[in-house]
Amino acid sequence: MTTRRVVPLALFLSSMFVLQGFAQTDPGVRGGGAAAGSPLASVAANSPVTVLDFFNDGKSRFQEIDSVKGTIGGETGFGLGPRFNSRSCAACHAQPAVGGTGAAVNPQIADATADGAQNTIPSFITQTGPTREARFVFFTNANGTPNPNAPNGGVEDLYTITGRSDAGPCTLAQPSFSSQLANNNVIFRIPTPTFGAGLIETLSDETLLTNQQSAFNNNQGITGTFNHNGNDGTISRFGWKAQNKSLELFAGEAYNVEQGVTNEIFTQERPLPGEDMGIIGGQSATNGLPANCRGNATPEDHTNFNQTSISTLSDLVQFAMFMRLLAPPTPSTTVPGGATSITNGRNLFISIGCAICHTTSLTTGTSSFTSSLSNAQANLFSDLEIHHMGTTLADNVSQGGAGGDQFRTAPLWGAGQRIFFLHDGRTKDIQAAILAHNANGSEANGPSFTFFENLSTGQRQDILNFLRSL
Amino acid sequence: MLRRQLFCLLLFLCSSLLAQLPTNTILVKGAEPSASDAKTPLPETGRIADNVYENRYFGFSYPLSSDWSEPYSGPPPSDSGTYVLGEFVPSKAFKGPIKGTILITAQDLFFSLIPPRSAKETIQYASDHLQPYYTIQDPPSELTIAGRPFARFDYMSPVAGLHWYVLATQIRCHVMQFILNSRDAGLLDGIVRDMNRMKLTAADAPPCLAGYADENVVSRVEPVLNDHRFNSIPVRIIIGTDGKVKHVHVISAFPDQAKIITDALVQWRFKPYLQDGQPADLETGLLFGYSPPRPQMPSTPRTTAPRETTGDVSSQ
Repeated sequence: MTTRRVVPLALFLSSMFVLQGFAQTDPGVRGGGAAAGSPLASVAANSPVTVLDFFNDGKSRFQEIDSVKGTIGGETGFGLGPRFNSRSCAACHAQPAVGGTGAAVNPQIADATADGAQNTIPSFITQTGPTREARFVFFTNANGTPNPNAPNGGVEDLYTITGRSDAGPCTLAQPSFSSQLANNNVIFRIPTPTFGAGLIETLSDETLLTNQQSAFNNNQGITGTFNHNGNDGTISRFGWKAQNKSLELFAGEAYNVEQGVTNEIFTQERPLPGEDMGIIGGQSATNGLPANCRGNATPEDHTNFNQTSISTLSDLVQFAMFMRLLAPPTPSTTVPGGATSITNGRNLFISIGCAICHTTSLTTGTSSFTSSLSNAQANLFSDLEIHHMGTTLADNVSQGGAGGDQFRTAPLWGAGQRIFFLHDGRTKDIQAAILAHNANGSEANGPSFTFFENLSTGQRQDILNFLRSL
Repeated sequence: MLRRQLFCLLLFLCSSLLAQLPTNTILVKGAEPSASDAKTPLPETGRIADNVYENRYFGFSYPLSSDWSEPYSGPPPSDSGTYVLGEFVPSKAFKGPIKGTILITAQDLFFSLIPPRSAKETIQYASDHLQPYYTIQDPPSELTIAGRPFARFDYMSPVAGLHWYVLATQIRCHVMQFILNSRDAGLLDGIVRDMNRMKLTAADAPPCLAGYADENVVSRVEPVLNDHRFNSIPVRIIIGTDGKVKHVHVISAFPDQAKIITDALVQWRFKPYLQDGQPADLETGLLFGYSPPRPQMPSTPRTTAPRETTGDVSSQ
């Protein structure tokens, strides 16, 4: 409202936090074994019969490394590229176990030159930094400058198969990341963890709408909304902006966009945004991917008619099944900080309003897959609504009904063993993530301000311990 | 030669700066508010100047203590007609040992997701639905602040040691709430006392009435939304004495949706609203787009709120 006062005070608040540091500290990634990655209890009990086989097969495929032709030893997945961000689902979904989010060592460093590839590693990809995809906010003019009248937002794959031993004559240039970084026209996304994804998928729209209504009069000025599937109008729920309706859609899009593998949902090889229309700024019209970069018949991943049993299923179906059957993370009741601190932190987290969006628990509907998905408590700490997060977090990418600063409430289950936070992985410090909720246009200013200004150091530490116990 | 090189360098730097997008700016917006004219005040256009928050739509001004300010603006109005009008916190000049927040919200009663249709009902609803981790300090009551009826209730969080005072009044078929939060109840008591310095008039506001558009439309042109975003689009309109739409406020819509709806609505014709037998301007609401499941609504008369500048909260 008062722009004259906003900037100085925001700077003051920010500098206060930075200069003084936080008296309380993020305990960091919770140690011990991975508290995630196992199948749901009923799946582990193989109920219904053979479901565990499907889980294990899906996990195996999830870990499979793709090559262009599937003929390289140890890289038997088929259909990589011609553009890609990494070579395996599990490469990105790795922390703290297969199915999770970005790991401590970024696999995209090795991906750049694997099997003879000749990619330049963009500056935002580092050995110990977050595993990332990149998007250009706007298409560019002929001189390479962003055109604010032409929103882009599509994924600009980091790498190409050019130079790989299995790429043949395909020659493709990488996007011009350095120039668009200079133009401040690049945003990043990190992988969302998929533990408990089947529970999220099984939540009914009615449950989500009822939860929205029950949180409506929250005395914090918070009012989220839902993103919807454009085909049938139902609530979509996967992805940073809740842009994907189902796990199969989520898997199919990722297989195509991140690894370049065409499949039964995304059936064409994917060019860069605008590459098929010859509107990539500063470059001559390419009219899509060259024919010699599209050497495989499509879809590269498909139902296998000549197989039997589980092998008939496509990777896409089995990726989704693996994620669907993954158990949610198991929180610790004692680490870090002890049971009393964690319990206190949970109560404080709820009391100051964090749980208005980070809904502690929702009950699933009835699932036809396996009993652990039915009528179960999903302790996801999310309402699955999209909320305005304001200027600090805005990535200026619109997806479905979500605008440039709207994001799905990030589920917090498993936060204790995550390394990177926020949609772009900009911080490892969970406190910095909370602070980023404070911004012009954010719905979350109230709870975030209360956290930093109206609680004692001990209370804040309790909340941080609680979050790292998840 | 050197000058020429410097000129080229300057030109290069300037062109680089021009190409660079601003940081911390929302460039690609989603659903947002818009209006058919720039003159008519809107709920979301309140401003603070010289430490006085003024909102012409609601006709109120609220002088803040000099050691309070607004560090961040709130989100745009929601698709359920919720406004964050202002959120104020102590500035660096604040001398008190314990801080707090003053949050001012408005809920459009035409589009609320919950049943209450008055300030008093809203406060009672909040008290009745208080989560178990809070305790009620003072149950719902009625009081007068700045000559205007308010409903109020206070609650606290024992674990956080935080107090909330919630004070609500009703203006132009909105429930405006002042939500005060601090660990220091004395600080909040002082803020409540200072609220008597507010001016609440809304003298020029037309009466507002739910359901008038549906029941009194004479002719209409349907807006054809050809997108598939499935968002709710709440719209407030002011119908003039001639039955024409003289103002359209699209509370939340994508720009293309807002244009289609506004272009259609200005062609609608209504039976003029009669006040004391005379045609009068009237404000009412319409919902386009996706209609979410709604709670059981009270009967229409409870949503009628003509000229709410005076009167008892219980009558609203």
